[in-house]
Amino acid sequence: MNTLQRRVIQAGALAMIALACFSEVNFTILPGGGVGPELSPDWYAALVYIVPGSSFVLAGLIAWSLRPRNRVGLLMIGVGVGLLTGDALLKNRVGQVSPAAEVLLDFVSPLWAVVLIHLLLAFPGGRLVSRLDRVVVRSFYAVVPLAALLAVIAGYPVLGKISQPVFDIEVPAAGSIYLACLVIGSALVIRRWFLGGHARRRSMSPVFWPMVPITVFFVLATAAVLRGSVTALATVFPLLLVALPVGCLIGLLRSGLDMSSVGDLVVKLSGGLAPEQLQPALAQALHDPSLEVAYWLPAQEWFADLEGRRIELPTADSEQAVSLLGDPASPVAALIYDSSLVDEGQLVDTAAAAVHLALQNARLQVQLRAQLEEVRQSRARLVEAADGERQRVERDLHDGAQQQLVTLLLSLQVTKAEAMRRSDFETATLIDANIASLREALGELRELARGIHPTILTQAGLVPAIRSLTERCPIPVDVTGELGDTRLAPPLETALYFVVSEAITNAVKYSKGRRMCISLGRRSGFAVVEVSDDGVGGADLSVGSGLRGLTDRVAAVGGRLIIKSDLTGGTTIHAEVPCG
Amino acid sequence: MRVIVADDSVLFREGLTRVLESGGFEVVGQASNADELDLLVASTNASLVILDIRMPPTQTDEGLVAAKRIRRQHPEMGVLMLSQYVESHHALDLLGQSPDRVGYLLKDRFADLDEFLDAVRRVGNGGSAVDPLVVSQLLGRKRAHDLIEDLTGRERSVLGLMAEGRSNDAIASALKISPKTLEAHIGTIYSKLGLEPAGGDHRRVLAVLNYLRSS
Repeated sequence: MNTLQRRVIQAGALAMIALACFSEVNFTILPGGGVGPELSPDWYAALVYIVPGSSFVLAGLIAWSLRPRNRVGLLMIGVGVGLLTGDALLKNRVGQVSPAAEVLLDFVSPLWAVVLIHLLLAFPGGRLVSRLDRVVVRSFYAVVPLAALLAVIAGYPVLGKISQPVFDIEVPAAGSIYLACLVIGSALVIRRWFLGGHARRRSMSPVFWPMVPITVFFVLATAAVLRGSVTALATVFPLLLVALPVGCLIGLLRSGLDMSSVGDLVVKLSGGLAPEQLQPALAQALHDPSLEVAYWLPAQEWFADLEGRRIELPTADSEQAVSLLGDPASPVAALIYDSSLVDEGQLVDTAAAAVHLALQNARLQVQLRAQLEEVRQSRARLVEAADGERQRVERDLHDGAQQQLVTLLLSLQVTKAEAMRRSDFETATLIDANIASLREALGELRELARGIHPTILTQAGLVPAIRSLTERCPIPVDVTGELGDTRLAPPLETALYFVVSEAITNAVKYSKGRRMCISLGRRSGFAVVEVSDDGVGGADLSVGSGLRGLTDRVAAVGGRLIIKSDLTGGTTIHAEVPCG
Repeated sequence: MRVIVADDSVLFREGLTRVLESGGFEVVGQASNADELDLLVASTNASLVILDIRMPPTQTDEGLVAAKRIRRQHPEMGVLMLSQYVESHHALDLLGQSPDRVGYLLKDRFADLDEFLDAVRRVGNGGSAVDPLVVSQLLGRKRAHDLIEDLTGRERSVLGLMAEGRSNDAIASALKISPKTLEAHIGTIYSKLGLEPAGGDHRRVLAVLNYLRSS
């Protein structure tokens, strides 16, 4: 709070006290003082304008000093001044204000209701958030003085005659415009309440709930006035207005309590918060369970959550608002929260400033995770591409070289038959030799192609392919368990096939084992294959690229490979892949 | 005997047709895919289909699927499936419940033309032909408690030929033994392996193959 502001507040407070004394003196010296339906006009004036007016001004001054940057205080003062000028206006009716001042006051005093609507729509942040609210409030500011001007020109005072201080509705001229503004304004306040999330209702409640009885009384009193009867109802009504400045102050003080929850956040931060605790802590401090932290990834140029998954920021017209932390061109993170919190911009800013450093650390972690995720995906793509390539090579061999050699075999048979027919047995013998070599070549080619990609895996699936491996294995292999009726995705089948294939090859080459066992199973979303032998053990990931390659291959499909190999109990290779 | 040949390579179909014709078969149609094959089966009154396991469009197991369909819809028709690889899984899949009029051979078998034509004839005449490589792999398979180990060399040869779908006469002449000796061998094999004697020359194929694969 600067010096000027402090002086203004002090001066305002003194003026209020003076005004209160002045009003007090005024109405006590005027004739007709008393209590009840026979009350004098000045009694009404005092009740209607001075009590709520001065309470608004006083509460506004307190609010302004508590929250110097929040417009709520100024708006409250505005409402109060409007009400007090209404009092001055009435006094003019009994000759206390000059006619020139009366014209001016005729313009100004009806504005207090507009300022009140402005205050209710802007509470507690002090700014009008919704575009609709801004447009409507601005048009009120333009329309109401205009209506007042019309009323003056037409010779009607906007606010009624002395006998009907508040509810003098001049139908159909200025009074109805004024009434329409009140109805529309109330509708906007109700709309704001019902459209807002949990955080907004919480912040609006100190002013919203007092408004409910005020509105009810207003409607009842208006109806009474329109019927031409002024009752005690009308005298009680203005006193209710006092609840509003009180509510405003409570609301602002509670917002101060929220600042204290930001204080709690700072205390938590100093104790060290893990990255995954930041979002819940912020959500708690800002009373918004829907709050999300989105970390900026400069390399990818998008926002991501803690897991590195991409997050799209909400658009301007959504129910969520966004605050960027740090340099807007290259932010550290973005807070996504319920748009009702926009009213409490200061609170959000303070909380954001408190977690800035922690978020920066968390972002590094997110960047790392995002990079890991990218690497994981690219590894999966590489393995898939390599498998696709193997399959293509196998098919090329099958449709090309193998088929051509078989066709050549057929044509050699035809040639041989022709040679035999001509009794050219020498040629027939030569052809036979060629057929024999060709057959050998075909056999080798077949084994080569099978090693590149076993067609049985594509044709019949993992289990028949594993059985085919065991049928060729020179060590007895027991296959137990099963993988269920549905086939696994091709990349998973291929990965597990090569695990078994490599494990069998290793066991045959190095284990000196006499038995092998392959157990298959599906357990809680994982397909599990375990190959074990009873050999000498000692298999080591660091020796030879075969096992290393298997580990990579299984990891590429999101699974893991565990090798247990000690010098007494043989080797067990356990592979599990997530299969949904 | 009227034969249909199905393979997506025209050179292969032509070569096979000439080889079959030299062996006294009449090739009544050629198909390059399963759809053409179905049309020919419906329109040509053939008694045997020779087809590749891999055919368009996916080149995986269209031939196997077509073969099983023809066996189901036309049980009187023989089906001989050829492949660049042989798998016991496919053999038993194709044989299904009955070993009648069915065969599964490596394409390399053209190297021994007489053997190949004999297999074609066997299938055409209601018997079965299982590729020797399937049988030898199953026979050579290592088992933990291996009753096959108890068989003599001669008995093993007999078992292998039985698994290929050969008749007793064919086995006896191939091994140059008398039918009586052969029957004695077969009796010993059954009792050593604990198998129930199956009726007929080729009906035993399934029992023997299943035994070899599962034990």
